[in-house]
Amino acid sequence: MAAPFSAPRPRRIGLINGRGLAALYRREVHRFLKVAVQTVGAPVVMSLLFFAIFDFALGDAQTVGGVAFPGFLAPGLMMMAMVQNAFANTSSSLLTAKIQGNIVDMLMPPLSPLELTLGYAAGGVTRGLVVGLATGLALWCGTPLSIADGGVILLFAVLASAMLALAGLVVGIAAEKFEQVSSVGNFLVIPLSFLSGTFYALDALPAFWQTVAHFNPFFYAIDGFRSGFIGHADADPALGAVVLAAVDVMLMALAWRLLARGYRLKA
Amino acid sequence: MTATETQSAGTWPSPKRRTIRAVNLRGVWTLFRREILRSLKVWDFTLGAATMRAVLFTAVFGLATAGINRLMGGMSLLDFLVPGLIAAAVLEHAFVAAAFSIVHDRIEGILGDVLSSPLNVAEIIAVYIASALVGALVVGVVVWAALLPLGAPMPHNAAIALGFAAAGAVLVGFVSALVGLWVRRWDSLAAVQTFVVLPFVFTSGVFFSLERLPGPVAALARANPLFYVVDGIRLGLTGRAEADPLTGLAVIAGTTVLVGALCYRLFATGAGLRD
Repeated sequence: MAAPFSAPRPRRIGLINGRGLAALYRREVHRFLKVAVQTVGAPVVMSLLFFAIFDFALGDAQTVGGVAFPGFLAPGLMMMAMVQNAFANTSSSLLTAKIQGNIVDMLMPPLSPLELTLGYAAGGVTRGLVVGLATGLALWCGTPLSIADGGVILLFAVLASAMLALAGLVVGIAAEKFEQVSSVGNFLVIPLSFLSGTFYALDALPAFWQTVAHFNPFFYAIDGFRSGFIGHADADPALGAVVLAAVDVMLMALAWRLLARGYRLKA
Repeated sequence: MTATETQSAGTWPSPKRRTIRAVNLRGVWTLFRREILRSLKVWDFTLGAATMRAVLFTAVFGLATAGINRLMGGMSLLDFLVPGLIAAAVLEHAFVAAAFSIVHDRIEGILGDVLSSPLNVAEIIAVYIASALVGALVVGVVVWAALLPLGAPMPHNAAIALGFAAAGAVLVGFVSALVGLWVRRWDSLAAVQTFVVLPFVFTSGVFFSLERLPGPVAALARANPLFYVVDGIRLGLTGRAEADPLTGLAVIAGTTVLVGALCYRLFATGAGLRD
């Protein structure tokens, strides 16, 4: 009599392990949704605080970039929250797994280094988009947000979140202690997102720093994203999108290379 | 005689009981040293993050308000803001200090080492408050020094500024100890910081003067003891205040006595300490 069950057959994996990639992505998303109060709620509260403070101190006093200050500020705050959280998602996921030792659960499955890179990055981008959307809805209660071009908004949201998610992946791979990740966050990501045009237009800066801004991808991210709302940009959004895409590709190549080599991941 | 018997039996003299007077000075000093060494281990991080935030806020506010000529509480926006940011750094540090230590010890399972030592409740609380106070004043002075090139004023009256900073640190230190008793996980401590402390501090007159608030809200703000801390520090640094400093001291002192008494009571009954 034949066995009631047929022997399991090996799963055929095509060019991309779609099922594995989906599993990794789902895990990355569940990881931050499980503690949504901290991962989504906290950035929303911070953005509202910033908005209240700046609007209160100088809201009615000026127009920036052709719009009233609150309308200028809100997209900047959304972008600031998005980049900080996209970075936090991948860096903390990688480092926690390394410290707790369950990084092998990521390295053992039939996922190629490219698939790992994509899965982690997609999780970080999702966190960025969710936080951006939540922040936007919350800020909407305080100021009417006009939308000039939804496509531009989405494009810059994805490009900028991907940049920081990939940067977080690289930092998470290279770091060995939580202090190192927090230092990069505190002393690099937060200052760059603060000082790159969230709160003021480019012409508020001295000439030298205006030139510097054009080499700063954070500036293009905020400027391009904001142009999707107010329809006015300091730099050409097309140029900004190209710069961000180029940075994304470079960071992705770096993360891929590190994962393939097993840098600080495999003994 | 028992003592002579023991001495003749062994080669070592028997240890004598240490007499502890009204205050166990050696114990207090030991715990205080541990608290200070603990915060010194992460000093670069603590000071760095606090300084970075104050510097960023100053830079961003300065750039965003360049070309705007607006007065806040009788001074330029930046002159108003800088003392507020120093006060915020002091208060936030004081809030973290004691709670951090208690939560850390509980999670690591070494809180018993503190509780079972020959220190009474008042001594233990005093040490937590003292180390929060020292840390907060150091943070305040460092942030002030870092803001000097960005327009921080030379103190109009350093004693007033330090006095209000110390009073605020003691008050918030007690609150911090209470939160430490109540909170069980790091996540919850972070949540209290983000959702309670930060909004509270930010709306205590750090960024804008009460005259900008509508009447009923301004009245509410005047009942907030932290407003008087911020206002007092601003008075010490710039010589200008919104409220009468003596009223401020009275409000701060009154609240401190209340919170301190509650803190003593809870520590003495072991609430949140002995499960």
